[in-house]
This record gives sequence, structure tokens and C-alpha cells, in this order.
Amino acid sequence: MKNALSTYWKYCFLLISLLVSAEVFSQNQPSEKKPEIKELEEVLISNNSAQKNKKEESLNVETVNNSFIQRNLGGSLMQSLQRLPGVKTISIGSGGSKPLIRGLSFNQVIVVENGLKHEGQQWGADHGLEIDQYAVNRVEIIKGPSSFIYGSDAVGGAVNIKPLPLPLQNTFGGSVDLTGKSNNAQFGSSINLFGRNENWFFDTRVTTMDYGDYRVPTDVVQVYSYTVPLYKNHLRNTTGKEHDFHLSTGYSGENLKSVFYFSNVHTKSGFFANAHGLEPRNVDTELHDKSSRDILMPYQQVNHLKLSNTTSFQFGNHAFEMQIGFQKNFRREWSHYVNHGYMPPIYPDDMYAPQDLERQYDKDVWSFSAKDEFRLNRHQITVGTNIITQENTIGGWSFLIPAFSQFNAGAFFYDKIELNEKWWLNGAVRYDYGTIKMKSYYDWFQSPVSENNQAQMEYLQRSQDLTKTFNSFTWSVGTNYNLENLSLKANLGSSFRMPIAKELASNGVNYHYFRFEKGNPNLDAERSYQLDLGIEWNQQNWSFQLTPFVNYFPNFIYLNPTSAHDIYYGAGNQVFEYEQSEVLRYGAEFQTRYYFLKSLSAEIGAEYLYSEQKSGSKKGYTLPFSPPPSVLFGFNYEPQIRLLKEPYFSVDYRFTVQQNNIVPPEKKTAESHVFNVAFGSKVKTGKQDISINIQIQNLFNTRYLNHTSFYRLIELPEVGRNIIVSMKIPFSFSR
Amino acid sequence: MKNLKSLLGVFALVFITSCSSDNAEIDTEYPVIDITQNAFPIQCSTIQRGQTITFKASFSDNVELGSYSLDIHHNFDHHTHSTEVTTCEMEAVKKPVKPMLFINNYTIPNGVKTYEATAQITIPADVDPGDYHFMIRLTDKEGWQTLKGLSIKIL
Repeated sequence: MKNALSTYWKYCFLLISLLVSAEVFSQNQPSEKKPEIKELEEVLISNNSAQKNKKEESLNVETVNNSFIQRNLGGSLMQSLQRLPGVKTISIGSGGSKPLIRGLSFNQVIVVENGLKHEGQQWGADHGLEIDQYAVNRVEIIKGPSSFIYGSDAVGGAVNIKPLPLPLQNTFGGSVDLTGKSNNAQFGSSINLFGRNENWFFDTRVTTMDYGDYRVPTDVVQVYSYTVPLYKNHLRNTTGKEHDFHLSTGYSGENLKSVFYFSNVHTKSGFFANAHGLEPRNVDTELHDKSSRDILMPYQQVNHLKLSNTTSFQFGNHAFEMQIGFQKNFRREWSHYVNHGYMPPIYPDDMYAPQDLERQYDKDVWSFSAKDEFRLNRHQITVGTNIITQENTIGGWSFLIPAFSQFNAGAFFYDKIELNEKWWLNGAVRYDYGTIKMKSYYDWFQSPVSENNQAQMEYLQRSQDLTKTFNSFTWSVGTNYNLENLSLKANLGSSFRMPIAKELASNGVNYHYFRFEKGNPNLDAERSYQLDLGIEWNQQNWSFQLTPFVNYFPNFIYLNPTSAHDIYYGAGNQVFEYEQSEVLRYGAEFQTRYYFLKSLSAEIGAEYLYSEQKSGSKKGYTLPFSPPPSVLFGFNYEPQIRLLKEPYFSVDYRFTVQQNNIVPPEKKTAESHVFNVAFGSKVKTGKQDISINIQIQNLFNTRYLNHTSFYRLIELPEVGRNIIVSMKIPFSFSR
Repeated sequence: MKNLKSLLGVFALVFITSCSSDNAEIDTEYPVIDITQNAFPIQCSTIQRGQTITFKASFSDNVELGSYSLDIHHNFDHHTHSTEVTTCEMEAVKKPVKPMLFINNYTIPNGVKTYEATAQITIPADVDPGDYHFMIRLTDKEGWQTLKGLSIKIL
């Protein structure tokens, strides 16, 4: 059945690609019509540059701007982007998520904000991305290996959040964003203020968000074998809040630009109370169900601070840019003390950590990067370097990963050659060096160890002093061929990723999944080779894009569920151990849009992914969190209505195929059919236009499971019907 | 144009090669813990302090069993319910002084699909009496795991 289904999908895509190629050759008459200008000037410029970028870059890049985010606003940045084929999320509750690009996530996808690689605790499925989506203006998503630009970790792709465009000269203005959501009674607001005289500018933003427990279309969930009743469909204790602040300021002159960025993102959010700890827990339902807005234990509190300066200047035909950055990610997970293994039943008074502080991670990262871009005849050359050093400490009464420090340095050379009007060539090489030093850790309590049939009480060592060093050489070559309406691209590249402390040295319980996770100090740096192709057709009334890829990992790092149990810290829980295996993955995304009328269009977006482990103890199995194939059908109607500017009405229907390709401890996920409706408009008010966007997500309150959700393992349905109203009110003060 | 065609050629090739992959049937079934017949303890069983009890259960899997672990910990705070439908009468919530703690893992011979598990567990005479949990965790060779959480009483 499984084979039949995947074969079916493969042939589907094969057929589509063949049809498409035939179509291309029969329709090779370039259309004479010019693209219609309907966006604001600023937006148009960025759209054009995105289009230009697409024609010159041989990797598959998707660019979206803030109006896309506004129309598709979800609980977090990645949730707002998951309408794009090939982009999914691993969501934790209604306010947090992490990117899943073509089935890869965690440390295999990097997020860059204002040129700075975002460093949090990406390894945890419950750790959302600490980014304020109101502060995002333009996002570039690279669906493919991009280590040659970003270094280690960008094996699966990159989410590049571009710096905000600078305010125009002699302006002073701002905007207010207001958002309300019905499902979790969320209220969000964000206030932006910016100004600039001739050369000096500032741009600042304050965001607050507050939401209650979210609701699911069920009143009982099965947490593994345990039955948990829900009160009024509320997912107990999934409430949260977020407070963010941003400031960018600096100087922009003819040849010199220097920008300081400061941002602080603070979130506090609850975990579903019944599914945290050492085993599914019974909770004080009276206490929890009293209010849907009180954050009780267990909950997480995360503060992410970023500070950077980016200075760029022109010197002859060289454009230099250099960046110095600092970031601090401070994460605490609070939960009632639950003794497990041989921990004392009563929490000792003289402990180093507060009784309810289960875990604490404190990460300080310093980074430096510099690059020079210049032209040499037909060559557009970029040379650059990045250096990152980080210090990590741990706290709390439980142990999962040790404290560690890490150093990475890399240098790259990237050449883009314009052979003629139609052909572009891309080539890049990069060298990286990285070292990671893990620190020793002993249990704070004694456990019985039997030696020569004598039981002795000992403080067990969880991690040892260990230093690992990695070197890597990566490369990428690609080509683009552009005609009036048609663009073709091909890219072959390698990527690498240094194993992280979690993979090398974890030795403790994952309290969300009730399992014992064990690192492997002998892991090699992960390597990946990928072939990417792209074909794109753009014409006045229809367009399509097909982007297939094949990817091979000789040594994918994988957390393997073993048949063993841990009898100390793990209290009898199943042991999961890091291993490496060969992995083959392939897939494609397909997008097409057809305009029936100038105001009425239909689109189809589809994605397919297949992954298989080709060696190791899970040979023949897929990888965890493999998104099933899905198709999105969208209708968009943009009529001309007096007094309204750019009104739109759209219906999306997403059909997600069942996922039977699983690996322990996953469960097969049934197919789902979800409808979303969105409408909105800009309203002319003097100089500025107020924009209003309304969405009804999951229109029919359908009960369905999402295979890549953090809570999938405990059979938790996705968010029920959710009405989202958002409004942007810009203002300006004349000077 | 020639280059264009060769590019499309590569394209088609990729799809054709990707279609040729075939894999053997993989195991996606969980092992089974059967405590309906000739098993001990079962939901609401009581155990005397100072005695040695014999754990008994039947395990089975469609391919090959892995290993199992047993864990006895106190439930004086009523922190969790069991996996069973029937509920047992509970004592009032109390603070632990010297609760019993037992964690052990057991091997299952290689290559078997069914296994009658037995294990001797000594209940010390000086532990706190009260409500306890008896956890059985069974894996198969591939790493699929099944849990049973039983409520028991130590008298």
C-alpha cells in the first residue's frame, strides 16, 4: 500500500514535469505585455530585486514580504510562511514554531536575522524560534544546502530575514499593528516609529502579545496509553505571552552606511500540562481549568537579546561589509520537581537550583563577519569570512546536555559569472574549522552501582571533558538560463554540519517524549550533497514553477530508538541513541497560477518528499518529521471597489495525503482536508492607507492531525476554527 | 537550445532514477503486553512488605521482541493515573519518608516473538506503605515501545 502510494506520487510529478516541458516548447512565443504596476513603489522595487535574484541564483529561493505575512498571519513567523510549498513547521502550541524546509529542521536549517545567524537552542522540538514576526519586512527562504554562504548547519536550507529598508530622507512616521485571534483569545499589538533626517535615522518597535489556552476540536486526548479529558476543548496550560523590543539606528551616506541593531524578544509560555515529565501526569485540573490565561507549571521562559553593528562602504568598485554581533539566549524550563532514578523523594533544601527550575540554558554568542563584493569583467566576486564563538552554561535540577564552548571560523569565495544575457554561472568554495569543548558533569545525588555483586552508592558521571575538532571543505556550482518567459536552473552543491553538544554528549531524559536520550562522542561532521533543478514560466496570465531535488547524506545524524531501557536517570524509560546512517531524499515543489480575469485567479501549490535511510539500524525507514505530500488549491478574487484599495477575497483548500512512512516512535497520520478563507483591503485615509486583513483558518473546525506537529505523538488534533483579524495603521508627521 | 535540452534531460533522468528505489516492508507494529491471564501484578493488586513477589506477563511482537523494564515508584501525591480503565481506591495524599524505589531492566532472548516474562522482586520490610505505580515498558527490536502503568498498593 505504502509503495503503491509513493509510486503514485512519483508518477504524478513525473507526468507533471513532462507535461510542463511539452508546454514550454509549444508556448515559446514571448508575451509582449508588460507586468502590471499595482504595488507601491517600495514593494515593487523589492519584488523586482527578488525576481532578479531568482534569475541569477541557481539555488531555489523564495522571497516573501510583510504583506504576505499579514495576509497569512499565523501564531508565529514560520506558521505564517507555511503556505509556501516545501516550507512547513514543527509547531509547539499556538505561539511557537520552528522551520521545517523540505523535511529538515532543528540545526539543519539556519535562520539569519539582519545578517546575524540566530543562535538559540534549536535542537529542541519544543523550542520555538525567538523572532518577532511584526518586525519582519522581507524573508528569503533558500530551499537547499547553503553552507557555502552560512557555514555549518545550513545543510537543509536557510531562512534569511532581511534588514528593514531604511526610512526615506526627511521622514518621521510609524505604524500601529493590531491583531486579534478567536481560538486562543489572543491580542497582539506592535507599534513602530521611525525617522530620518538626511543621513541619520532610527527605527524602533515595541510588540506585545498575550494569548490564552488554545482550543482543539476534541474533549479527550490519548497521551501515549493514558486518557486525558480536556475542559471545554481547552488544551490545558498552553497560554503564553510575548514582549519584544527593537531599535535600529545609524548613519547612511553616499559611500558609508553603519547600522546598529538591538532587539530583545521575551516569551513565557506554558506546556500542555498532562504531557510533561517522566510519564504522562495527572494534574490538578481544578487549579488548571480555573482560568485559561494563567501560565502554570510546566512552562518555559525565554529571553533572546541581539546586538550588532553592520558597516558597509564603497571603495572603488569594491563593496565592503563587516558585522560584529553579540547575542544571548537565556532559556528556563519550570516544572514541579519529580524525583526519578535515584533522586531523593523530597527536594533537598541546600540545592544549587530553585526547586521548580527543571532546566536552564544560557548561551552567549560573539560573531564577526566581513565580506568584499566586487566586479571583475563578467565576474561578480564575493570573498568573505565568519568567526563565531559561543559559551554555554546549564542550570536546574535535571540534566540533558553539558555546558560547552564552541568556536567556528570559515572563509568563502563566491563567483557569479554573467556569460551573456541568457546564461549565468555560479561557483563557490568554502573552508570551515570548528571546535567544541564539552564540560564534565556529575549527578547531584547518589545512585546504587553494583560492583562484584556489591551495591555501592555513587555520584554518577553524566558527561566527560571532551574536545572535538572538525574541518570541512564545501563547494557549490550552478547555472541559470533565462529567456523572456522561461527560466531554468540547476545547482549541485555540498554542505556540512558539525555535530552539536546535544548529539555528542546528551545523557538524560527528554521530558516531553518520556525517553532517555544518549549522545555519541564518535559522530563525524554530517555531509550532504544535493542536486537542485528549477524550471519557471512567467507569462501575463499564467505562471508555473517546478523545483525538484535529490539529496544524499553519507552520514546523517539520527536519534535512533533502541530496544534498551535506562535504569538510572531514565527510571526505566526507553533509550534513544545518536547514530549516523546513509540517507537518500528526493522531492519536488510545484506552483502554478492562472488568471481567468484580471481580478480572478486560481493557484495550485504542491509538494512531495521522500526520505529513506539506506544503512544503519533503521535501514529502510524514513526520517522523523517527514511531511506527507500535500496540495493547496487557492482562489483569489481582487475586484475594483470604490473607496477600497486592493481588496481581495481568497479561499484555500489544503489536501494533505496520509503519512504511512514512519519511524519509531511515530504514528501513521491520516489524510486531512482543511479550508481557510481570507479577505481584506486597504482603506484610503488621507496620505496613508489603513490595511485590514481577516482570516478564518480551519473554516469547518475540522479535527485533524498534523504529522509534523510537536504534539503529534500524543494524538493531539490541530487548532480548531480560528478567526484572525489584523489591522495596520500607518501614520506620518510632516516635517 | 542544445544546452536547454540537456538540462531537461538531466531533469527527466532524476525522476526516472528516483522511481526505481524499492524497499522491503518495514516493521511499524508495536509489541503487546498481555496481563489478562496468569499475570501479576494487575491493576489494583496489593503486595505485602517483606515479601518477594513474582512479576508475570505475556509479551508478543510481530517480528522480534527487544527488552523490558520494570519500575515501581510511589504515587503518594496522586501524580498520575494508570493506563487501565478501572480505577482503584486511593489513600489520601501524603509526604514520602522512605518510599520504595525499584528500577530494573531485563533481557529477552534474541529472535523470539512471544515471551512469558517472570521476575522476582523483593519488597523491603521498612518502606512506606501506600499507593504505588508499577510500570512495565516493553520494546521490540526496532524500537517500538508499549507501556503499561498499573496502580498497586503496598501494605
